[in-house]
Amino acid sequence: MILPITIGVLTAGAIYLMLQRGMVRIIFGLALLAHAANLLILSAGVTAWRGEPLPSRTGVEDAGDPLPQAFVLTAIVIALAVTVLMLAMAVIGHNDDTKRMPETGETHRR
Amino acid sequence: MSLLWTLVISAVTVVATFPLTKLLGRHAGWPIAALYLAAAAAYWPAAREVMHHGTVEWSMPWVPTLGLELSLRADGLGTVFTFIALVIGAVVLAYSTAYLKPGRNLTFYFYMAMFTVSMVGLVLADDLILLFLCWELTSLASFFLIARSGYAGEAASMRTLLITFLGGLGLLAAVTAMVVRTGTTTLSEALAHEVWDTSPGFTATIALLVILAAFTKSAQFPFHVWLPDAMAAATPVSAYLHAAAVVKAGIFLLMRFSPAFHDVPVWNVLLISTGLVTCAIGGWFALQKTDLKKLMAYSTVSQLGLIVATIGVGTEYALAAAILHVIAHALFKSGLFMMVGVVDHAAGTRDVRRLPVLSSAMPIAFWVTVLGCASMAGVPPMLGFVSKESILTAMHEAPGGPVAAWAAFLGVALTAVLTFAYCAKIVFNGFFDGRGQAKWPEDRPLHTTPWALGTFAALPIVVGLPLAFVVGILDTPVGRAAAAMLPADAEEPHPHLALWHGINLELLTSLAIIVVGVFVILRRRFFFPAREHDTFSFDGADVIRVINDTAADVGKSLAMLVRADNPTRHVAVQFLALGALVLGGVGVLVAGDHLLPVQEGLISPIDIVVLVIIAIAVAVLCRANSRLAAVVALSTVGAAVTVQIFALGAPDVGMTQLLVEALTVLMIMLVLQRLPQVFGRAPRWGNKAALLLAVVGGLSAGLATWALTGRRDRSEIAIWYLEEGPVETSGDNVVNTILVEFRALDTFGELTVLGMAAVAMVAIVSTVRDKYLDPPPEADRNYVPPPEVPLRERGSTAYRAVTEAWGNAVPMQLLVRVTAPLLAIISAILFLRGHNSPGGGFIAALVGSSIVALIYLATSRDRMVGPPRLPLRLVALGVLIAVGTGIWGMIGHVSFLEPLHGYLFDIHLTTSMVFDLGVYLAVLGLVMEAFNLLGATGGESTRERADEAVEGEISGPMDTSRGERYAETRLGIPGRGSTYLQQDLPPRKGGDRE
Repeated sequence: MILPITIGVLTAGAIYLMLQRGMVRIIFGLALLAHAANLLILSAGVTAWRGEPLPSRTGVEDAGDPLPQAFVLTAIVIALAVTVLMLAMAVIGHNDDTKRMPETGETHRR
Repeated sequence: MSLLWTLVISAVTVVATFPLTKLLGRHAGWPIAALYLAAAAAYWPAAREVMHHGTVEWSMPWVPTLGLELSLRADGLGTVFTFIALVIGAVVLAYSTAYLKPGRNLTFYFYMAMFTVSMVGLVLADDLILLFLCWELTSLASFFLIARSGYAGEAASMRTLLITFLGGLGLLAAVTAMVVRTGTTTLSEALAHEVWDTSPGFTATIALLVILAAFTKSAQFPFHVWLPDAMAAATPVSAYLHAAAVVKAGIFLLMRFSPAFHDVPVWNVLLISTGLVTCAIGGWFALQKTDLKKLMAYSTVSQLGLIVATIGVGTEYALAAAILHVIAHALFKSGLFMMVGVVDHAAGTRDVRRLPVLSSAMPIAFWVTVLGCASMAGVPPMLGFVSKESILTAMHEAPGGPVAAWAAFLGVALTAVLTFAYCAKIVFNGFFDGRGQAKWPEDRPLHTTPWALGTFAALPIVVGLPLAFVVGILDTPVGRAAAAMLPADAEEPHPHLALWHGINLELLTSLAIIVVGVFVILRRRFFFPAREHDTFSFDGADVIRVINDTAADVGKSLAMLVRADNPTRHVAVQFLALGALVLGGVGVLVAGDHLLPVQEGLISPIDIVVLVIIAIAVAVLCRANSRLAAVVALSTVGAAVTVQIFALGAPDVGMTQLLVEALTVLMIMLVLQRLPQVFGRAPRWGNKAALLLAVVGGLSAGLATWALTGRRDRSEIAIWYLEEGPVETSGDNVVNTILVEFRALDTFGELTVLGMAAVAMVAIVSTVRDKYLDPPPEADRNYVPPPEVPLRERGSTAYRAVTEAWGNAVPMQLLVRVTAPLLAIISAILFLRGHNSPGGGFIAALVGSSIVALIYLATSRDRMVGPPRLPLRLVALGVLIAVGTGIWGMIGHVSFLEPLHGYLFDIHLTTSMVFDLGVYLAVLGLVMEAFNLLGATGGESTRERADEAVEGEISGPMDTSRGERYAETRLGIPGRGSTYLQQDLPPRKGGDRE
């Protein structure tokens, strides 16, 4: 089985990057983690069947499990949304170091 | 049906406020008042039925699966309160037409109407859940009506909400427990249940919860705090909600539950004692007030206490007396509140120390107020006198022996003295004495009172006068209401109301009260001013603030245990836990030989190629210090994963992944141009720890995948989708039909997330001031001044090629001209064929978004793609379309988002395509917003873009941060949103307290 190794590598890279200080690195880590999770969900559909789930064209015998595919499709787009949101936060103050709070001009009770 | 009509007319009124206020401005009060009267008229047949010893019921299924019914029931109690709510409401609204400032006043009328419908629903409800819902709605409407009165109402409305919702929780608990224990949600059945006789512990608990709810709403000690606070609201609101309706909702609740609790000791004791205490302190505080409205507020607290105490006695006569006083109080107090409004309007102040002599200038208002106060003080021949006499008589029947009864009697008599005193204060200090006459400017005239203002303020009081002489006509309504407050098997009460009962103890007591009162009046010049200071140095608001702050501090210190600003703590903990779980779990599985055999044919050669590429790219990504190199590595990983996905037979997913990957990389590049070129320092624990954790996490993820997947046949659900999906949906692309039909609710949630991401970006960016969001380039950590390049003279081609962008953008622009239409066509085709072939809303939208990206990249200088407000509108439209198809499905098939199929000239159409359009728009909106915000360089700042996304084109960034309190941090610095937007003048720089 190869896919587990791929998932392992992606996850390891993701964790390493998410433990870094820079927001951009954390975003990259999250992107890797999303890849890993997506592949994991797809492999939950059992990768022995790799036909496209278009029954009238490819037939039911070969077709892969469509449900994980639908989940992953949703997950990819949500990951895009999360990435975009985090990018917007990374750009505040032109510095993405997460150890210090960005200056916002707000006064607030801590 | 009569009941339904009443409710429907009241509900229609809520909707009607929109067009009516638009057409008529503040005079919308007239038709709305007419609608109230129409609702009351619709109720009339039911009222007649009730008076002839019947009950009227109506119900329809509401949530059949839970056995909930939308059931209404009219009895004597509901009838009295319905008429109070509707008729007093109509009078107050007619009064409002003159009281309110000219203008639309939509929120006033809207929330008043919303309040009325929920109040009518409350008093007519025969379903416990409906009762609770209406109860909460009255709280909400009251909150909004206070909150709309501006800054003064802000804190007050929050306190009101806090207290009334506390009671609401009590009621919720009571209702739930009752439903569970009695097994019915029908109120009348639940109250007649035998559990109240057989289980005293349960009965006492529920009684306490109901008391909590009623006390918070009816402002009983110690929850009386919110009512004086609520006086921040406009006078009509006070007259209606805080004299006749909201506070009476609590009274109503006590009366409604009286059949079950009227002989429960804890009920009697708590109600009588708390009622009398509230009555006394309310009266005492009322005497201390100089603001007539505040005085009225405390007098309301006091009168409510009196009613609560009378309900607590719980006998037939006492309940009749209580309902009579409810009627009398609703009449005189709403009138008196409105009279305060008249005084305020005429003199411009409500403070008795500043009022001139008004009795001669406004004789009618004076005499009406005298009548109202006489009723409140219990002076014959007013209705209030009859009700107060009845209450005194009722106190003799207080449970607990003759001592308790005499104590209660004496308590009422003493509080009646206080009542008489503050009534005298209203009349003499408010109108007669003119304590402010000396300081009143000679030339300052009183404003003339508009006729509607005076007439409708006087109406409830004046009506109460003849009613006292023919009080016998109230016998039947009061008797029927009292019957509704007693168990069904009790004898029918006959209160025999009359103005004159002969010379008895109550009459003598009344005379004694009046004698003491007259003495107070004679000595008033000394007596009233001497009382005008607060007994305590703090008030209820302070107490609530302390409780609130303490709770917040405790919450914060608890949160400190788990919160952290940087993500490391969260990530580390999660993956350590994952590692422990997986390594341990898989160990057990392998050791016990529990693993199933691996399915054959899991590996394809391409997997190995992908793995090699990914492994190298991840290594590069982790080691890279240059951000640009990291992006290249990341996109390599993305491409490899895309290949893997295609290889797994998921064309839709693969296409989505590819397009998302491209857009993500573009967006990252936009951000990177504004960030340092290299990543900078390593984490605090050092990279070794990070590496260790990464290895453990990676190992666990891989092991988990190996152990837990690929060890079975295809699932049943997979086979079902493949075989039945095309039949059910007549679409061949199963993944797409899952997305837009079978699991459309998931997709709906997802597109909402997308939309919210766009909104959240704007929101986050606009909480940061411009100068912190985009600091000048020189402030950047790794700023390098532009190099001095020896160039040919200005104007030459070489000079332009290096210094100006447009020349470089030309090829791209030409390319866009060709590719953009092409992409649009591809996008449309992908969209249309999505049901049967790879494609669909997401993929089509991502292709459409790439047009946006191309247009953005092709411009020679940074500018927004499309109008500034377009992206958020696209998002909103997308979500609305999705909701619309959802509701359409609900109407057509009684299921949210259920697709409808149809044919138009042989072309198969389904509403799921419309839903897909919603998805398309939301994705497009998000991507546009992202490009606009993240790409802001040079010309407009990020902050300006964010502001423009909401407000439309403006000439510079606002200098506020969204969500901050004006008064706390912005000491009078101009340029706050509204003025800026109206005049389009850039704001002054600043915004810090330095």
